[in-house]
Amino acid sequence: MSGTIHVTRNDKETIIGVKGRFNFEMHSQFRAAYQSESGEDNQGRRFVIDLAGTEYIDSSALGMLLLLREEAGANESDIEIVNTRPEIRKILETANFQRLFKIA
Amino acid sequence: MKILIVDDDPINRTILQRLLGKEGHEVITADNGRDGVDEFMRHQPDLVLLDIRMPGMNGYEAAREIKKLHTSRFTPIIFLTAVTDDEGLVQCIEAGGDDFLTKPFNRTILQAKIGAMERIRQLHARLRMQKEELEHHQERVQQELEVGQHIFSHIVRAGNLLDAPCLNHWTSPMTLFNGDLLVASYNPAGGLHIMLGDFTGHGLSAAVAAMPVADIFYDMTAQGFSIGDLAEAMNVKLLSIMPRRMFCAACLIEVDHRQKSLNIWNGGLPDVLITDGSGRLVQKIPSNHIPLGVTRMTREDRKVELLEMRPDYRVFLLSDGVTEATDPDESMYGTERLERHFDGTHPPDTLFRVILDDLERFRNNAQQSDDISLLEIVCDRAGEEPKGNEEKRQRTAIPPTSWDAAFVFSAHTLKTVDPLPTIVNAVMNLQAPSGHRERLYTILAELYSNALDHGLLRLDTRTKKTPEGFIRYYMEREERLAKLEEGTIRLELTHRPIPEESGATESHGGEILILVEDTGPGFEIDQIHTQLQGNIGHGGRGIALVRSLCHALEYQGRGNRAKAVYRWTV
Repeated sequence: MSGTIHVTRNDKETIIGVKGRFNFEMHSQFRAAYQSESGEDNQGRRFVIDLAGTEYIDSSALGMLLLLREEAGANESDIEIVNTRPEIRKILETANFQRLFKIA
Repeated sequence: MKILIVDDDPINRTILQRLLGKEGHEVITADNGRDGVDEFMRHQPDLVLLDIRMPGMNGYEAAREIKKLHTSRFTPIIFLTAVTDDEGLVQCIEAGGDDFLTKPFNRTILQAKIGAMERIRQLHARLRMQKEELEHHQERVQQELEVGQHIFSHIVRAGNLLDAPCLNHWTSPMTLFNGDLLVASYNPAGGLHIMLGDFTGHGLSAAVAAMPVADIFYDMTAQGFSIGDLAEAMNVKLLSIMPRRMFCAACLIEVDHRQKSLNIWNGGLPDVLITDGSGRLVQKIPSNHIPLGVTRMTREDRKVELLEMRPDYRVFLLSDGVTEATDPDESMYGTERLERHFDGTHPPDTLFRVILDDLERFRNNAQQSDDISLLEIVCDRAGEEPKGNEEKRQRTAIPPTSWDAAFVFSAHTLKTVDPLPTIVNAVMNLQAPSGHRERLYTILAELYSNALDHGLLRLDTRTKKTPEGFIRYYMEREERLAKLEEGTIRLELTHRPIPEESGATESHGGEILILVEDTGPGFEIDQIHTQLQGNIGHGGRGIALVRSLCHALEYQGRGNRAKAVYRWTV
């Protein structure tokens, strides 16, 4: 069983909320969530990945975050991972993702 | 369509034959069940129209026979019946009929039913073809995977994982290919390099990416590069070959039994756990690097954790397949449950088994969702010779010749690269004294690091005698090296064949003179001799070891010039 993705966006930011299991099955959903947003018009757009409802995150999900980082324009755009529960935070920190993303 | 009519009533047969003939169908007839089955086998029709009541074999039996004989292809059977009661119709379907047609025949309904059956038949034919294609494809893929797996496992298992006496390991791949790469290999100085890499994803894609990593691991380890160098080279390779969403969480460990040290580089794997002789956790080495293949490495990213290795230590290295293993209710094993084993209740030599047994109990046959790897390093066996004699690579002997080489390294070079692997390689390629590589490497490495550490950086080996001092020594070394502005190390190599024995036609060995000179202030020669001779405490492979390997060793000048003579024979 995999999770679901919910996207909210305004002029400046896109909030991608992931509920349930954030794993390899979410790949196309997650990609669609940010790809429809990014592009030339989205310079400086802020991405917020809301993991409040995320039960589990696997290494493919970490890979998706890396892909977002690259495809959304790496350093120019602003990516923040929010509402990380301690278990999920531990996984992100084991991969030292706090050096690549803002994690709150 | 080719249609078989089985009916004992000649009038019915004639009506149907005419009707169908006009539609352009090819018609075959039989007047009883037995003949019907025979005709069916002979002509392989596309459709069967079957009467129920016939002498001898009736319609139900004939239908069963036909369906039984003919399973691979779908041939619809339409029963021709006068009965319209539910019971009779159910019996038709149970016997294997696909539809029924009540007498007297209505041409339009007959056409419609034949049309419908034809559609179903075509659908079946298409499905069957696709199924066959799929099976064929699957079989080919399976064969390819098996061959690939064979090659993969031989590439990956080329090292010393199995024969190093200090290692115990267990892996459980989720699919045919293991996404966890577990390798071990001795470096020329006798140290053991171990790597566990966990690639994003499982199976083939992970295995393909693992191959160049295994190559780099074996190649650079054999050349004497450090694990920091290995991590950096692997990172560069993976960045260039892997898609951005794939990376490799990895941990590299160097077990150096001479230095009595453990070097650990952990990028993305769970904490490396270390116990002492009481079976209690004494240290955890967390991941303090980004995994391989994510981003370019800085100098900082190459840094390894250096620990003093005590003989009673046991080191446990694991992939997250262990801590994230799930039971049938999908709850996770977790680090807490894992670390509970390290509470001193289990004798250290049983811990490896205890963890595996508990993990198996916990998983309770639940489906595996990740590759699982666990490795144990038994530190007091780190100095033992590998089982079996793997080092049998035969090389064509190069007859000993005369040559000289000199290198001068500036302070800038000294803090940028480790020139030794390249130099040892050069010697091996020029002269190939096979079987002598490790010793030559050790001698050069010792003399070089003495010149650097004591000559130029002016470190005091006595610091290393206490555990705290051991770590302090290496921190101090790093600091001083970073600040080093001047000074050089000169390395001179002179090779001569050992003079022929009387009667021998060819010289069978050579002598290599190694001069290592630094521009430091040097030491009182007497003092350095005593100091270096006593240098066998903590981290003291030192000069005593070099002396034991060399034909001769002396310090000259103001103690800043070491002269060693090494002899080799084939």
